[in-house]
Amino acid sequence: MIINGRRARTVARCLFAAALAAVPVSLLGQIPTDSWPTYHGDYSGRRFSTIKQINTGNVKALTLAWVYRLNTSRTGAIVGGEGTDTPPPGSPPSIKSTPLMINGVLYFSVPDHVWALDARTGRENWHYAWKTRGGDHIGNRGVGILDNWLYFLTPDNYFISLDVGTGKERWHHEIANMKREYFSTNAPMIIGRQVIIGVGGDALDIPGYLESRDPEAGNLVWRWNTTPRPGEPGATSWPDEESMSHGGGMPWIPGTYDPDLNLYYLGTGNPQPVLSGKSRPGDNLYTCSIVALNPNTGKMVWYYQVTPHDTHDWDAAQTPVLIDGDFDGKPRKMIAQASRNGHFFLLDRITGEHLLTSKHIDSLNWTKGINSTGQPTHDPGKDASVPGTLVSPDTSGATNWPPPSFSPDTGLMYFGTRQTFSVMYLTDTDGRPQGWAAAERNVGSVGNALKAIDYKTGKVKWSRPFAMGPGGSQGGPVGLLSTAGGLLFGGDGGGNFVAYDASSGKPLWHAGLGTNTTNGPQTYLLDGRQYIVVGAGDSLYAFVLQQ
Amino acid sequence: MNKVRRVLAVLTVRSVPAVLGVLVFSAVPAGAQQQALTPVTDTAAVERGQQLLVNQCGFCHGANARGGSGGPDLTRSTLVQSDENGRQLGEFLAVGRPDKGMPKFDLPRAQVADLAAFLHSSIYQNSNRRLYKILDIVVGDAKAGEAYFNGAGRCATCHSPLKDLKGVGAKYEPATLQGRLLLPRGRERAPGSPAVPLYADPTSVTVSVTPSSGPTVSGGLVRLTDFEVTLYDASTGQMRSWLRNGDSPKLAIVDPLQAHMDQLPRWTDADMHNMTAYLASLK
Repeated sequence: MIINGRRARTVARCLFAAALAAVPVSLLGQIPTDSWPTYHGDYSGRRFSTIKQINTGNVKALTLAWVYRLNTSRTGAIVGGEGTDTPPPGSPPSIKSTPLMINGVLYFSVPDHVWALDARTGRENWHYAWKTRGGDHIGNRGVGILDNWLYFLTPDNYFISLDVGTGKERWHHEIANMKREYFSTNAPMIIGRQVIIGVGGDALDIPGYLESRDPEAGNLVWRWNTTPRPGEPGATSWPDEESMSHGGGMPWIPGTYDPDLNLYYLGTGNPQPVLSGKSRPGDNLYTCSIVALNPNTGKMVWYYQVTPHDTHDWDAAQTPVLIDGDFDGKPRKMIAQASRNGHFFLLDRITGEHLLTSKHIDSLNWTKGINSTGQPTHDPGKDASVPGTLVSPDTSGATNWPPPSFSPDTGLMYFGTRQTFSVMYLTDTDGRPQGWAAAERNVGSVGNALKAIDYKTGKVKWSRPFAMGPGGSQGGPVGLLSTAGGLLFGGDGGGNFVAYDASSGKPLWHAGLGTNTTNGPQTYLLDGRQYIVVGAGDSLYAFVLQQ
Repeated sequence: MNKVRRVLAVLTVRSVPAVLGVLVFSAVPAGAQQQALTPVTDTAAVERGQQLLVNQCGFCHGANARGGSGGPDLTRSTLVQSDENGRQLGEFLAVGRPDKGMPKFDLPRAQVADLAAFLHSSIYQNSNRRLYKILDIVVGDAKAGEAYFNGAGRCATCHSPLKDLKGVGAKYEPATLQGRLLLPRGRERAPGSPAVPLYADPTSVTVSVTPSSGPTVSGGLVRLTDFEVTLYDASTGQMRSWLRNGDSPKLAIVDPLQAHMDQLPRWTDADMHNMTAYLASLK
C-alpha cells in the first residue's frame, strides 16, 4: 500500500496528538513513567522518577542499550536558517540539553541542531540543522513540545518551531539582537498555551527579559523585564535609568512551576557590568533573584534576592526546586535553591517568605555574613580590584546550571559543588565601567564534591569528593537524577557515569565513558524496560538492565 | 554483554587522549566565550574616528563615548551597536534628534565610517574580556611582604630569595607572579617548547599505590576516581593503572603544594599584594 507523505504525516500527527493527550497535565507535579515531557521531566525541578525497576539491589546489572554520537552534518538534515552555507568553526558541540521523550521518541538539541531519536534503538528519525549567523555557541538546554509542535532557541536568537513528526520547520522569529551580544540557550518551558523563553548574554551591558510566545504563530504574548524601568517597583535599587536598563539579569535557564498556585519560578541572572558595581550602587533588583511570576500575565507575585548587588558573576539561574514536606513540624509548600554564590536557600513558595539559609561550601570568603532576611551581605572588600582580589568561589561559582535533584524519599537535595579560588583584577577604572570590567585568573580548588543537603536543616548529610587529577580536585556542578529505586545518577568528574546510593552516597555502579557527563540524566519506561539516558560530550548513552 | 563491553572499550580508547582536556568542568570558562562581534581591523580608521569623536562628539558624549554632559553613552546605544559600517549611524547623523538636543551633523561618508570604526572597536574591546589588560598591580609594601615571607606566611620554610626565588621578579610579569605565589602548579612554558603534561611535572599531585601483592609504585597522579587510579611512572615513562575495590589497593596521595593549598583560605588581599611587591623586587 502506498500512502503519500502528507497523508502519512497527518495520520502520524493524529496518533501523536492522541498519545500526548493521554498525559494528564496534572501529573506534571510528578514525572510520568512512560514519557519525559519537559526539561525537568515534570514542572517541579526535582528530577525524581518514581520508576524503580532499576534499584539499589539490581543496578549492578545495568548495561549499555545504545550510543548515539552526534551527527551534525547538514547532509541529509532538514536545513533552515538565515546564516551562511558554511558551518562556523568551533569545537564539537556538547550535549547540555535534557532529552524529552514522548511516544517512544527522544528529542534533544545542541546549538543549531535538533534530533529526534528512536528511544528504543538510539537511531535517528530526523535531524534539523540551523544555518547560524553567529553568536555564542556555549550550549543549548533543550526543546519544548506542545501537541505536535517542537520549540527551541538558537545562539543567534531565533525562536523556531518544528513539526515533531518530521522535523520540518513551521516558522522562526528573531527574539533578540545578536549584535548586542545576546545569545539564547534556554529550553522553552510550556505552561498551558504559554511558551516561555528567555535570553542570555553578558558581554555588553544589556537588559534581560523573559517572554511568553503563542504556540501557533510564535508572536509575543507578554514580556517581563528582569530589571525595572524608572518608577516601577524595584527601581530604587538602582541609581538611575541608565544602570537599570543596561543591568543584565539574564533568564537563561528554564524555571519550575506549581500548577496549584499557578506560579512560575525563575532564577534570574547576574547584574551587569559583571565584575564591577561602581556604576550601579544598590541591590540591583531583580538580578540574582528567585522570582514567582503569573505565567498567564508575566506579572511578578513575589521575589527573593539571593545575592544583593552581585559583583562576581554569580547568577541565581540554578534550578529552584519545589519541595512539599514538613518544616518546623508543619507541612509547607517550599522552594529550594543550591545557589552559585555558595549558599543553600529554602523559601515558602506561596509567599516567598525566607525559611533557611546555609553555606554549602566552606571556602567562600566574599560575604560579611547573613542578614535578618537570610541574604548574604555584600563585602565591598571582596570586589575585583586593580591589584587583584582573591575570591572564593571563582566566577563559575560554587555550583552552576547543571540540574540538581531532590528525592522526596530521602528528603535530600543533591548537587555538585566547587571550592575554587581566583584572583579578580579590575581592568576598567572608568566611572562608567562596561562589560565584565575585570579580568580573572583562576588559581585552584581546595575540594570539589557531590553533596546531599537535608532541606529541613540546610546541613550536608553526605558529601562525596569528586575525582582528582594532577592538579588536585576536579569535577563540580553535574546534572543529576534521583529515583524511587533509591538511586542517584550523575557524573564523578573523572569521566564516569555513576549510580550512587541516594541515602549514603556510596557508588553502586558506573560506566567509564571517558568523558564527563554534560547534561541532566533522564529516565523512562518503554516496552516494560527502564532506560537511563545521559549525554557526555558529543554522545548520548542509554542504559538498561541486562536481560 | 560482550558486545556492550567492547563498545564501551572502544569509546574509552577513543576518548583517552582528550581525557585531561575534558575532565575540567567548564561552565563559563573565562576566556572561552564566543562572540557575535568581530574586531575592527582598520586601526588607522579607529584612530581617525577617535579624534573625530573627541572633537565633534566628546563634549556631550564623553571623550571615550561613554556619555558626558547630557549626551548618552554611545557604546551602549542600540543604534550604534546594530550599525553596519556607519550606514545606520550616517542616516541618523544626517537628521539628528533635535527634540532631544541632538543636532544633525553633515559629515562626509568617510568620516562617518571612521567614527563607526572607533565606536565598534570600543564596543568590541568592552565585550571581549580576553582582551582586558591587567593594570599595574605591584602596589603593595615590599618590606611588609618580606616580613610576611619570613614570619606569618612561613614561606621561608621552603623558599629562599637567594636560591629558588632568585631573580623571580624578573622572570614573571606581575599577574603571573601573583598567581604563582598563590599556587605554582605547572611550569610556565617558553614559547615553542613542548608541553609537559602536568602529571609529569614535579608540582603534580603524586600517588603511591601498594597492591595486595607486589611493590609500591609511585608517580604523578593522572586520575583518581572511586573506581580506578592511574599514575605516571617517571622511571619508565609509562602510565600504570589499577582498578579500585574498597581499600584495595592502598593509596597515599601527596600534594607537593599542600602548604600553598592550606594557605589559600588564609590569605588577606593586603598580604598577597605585599608579597607580590616583595617577590617583584627580587630581580
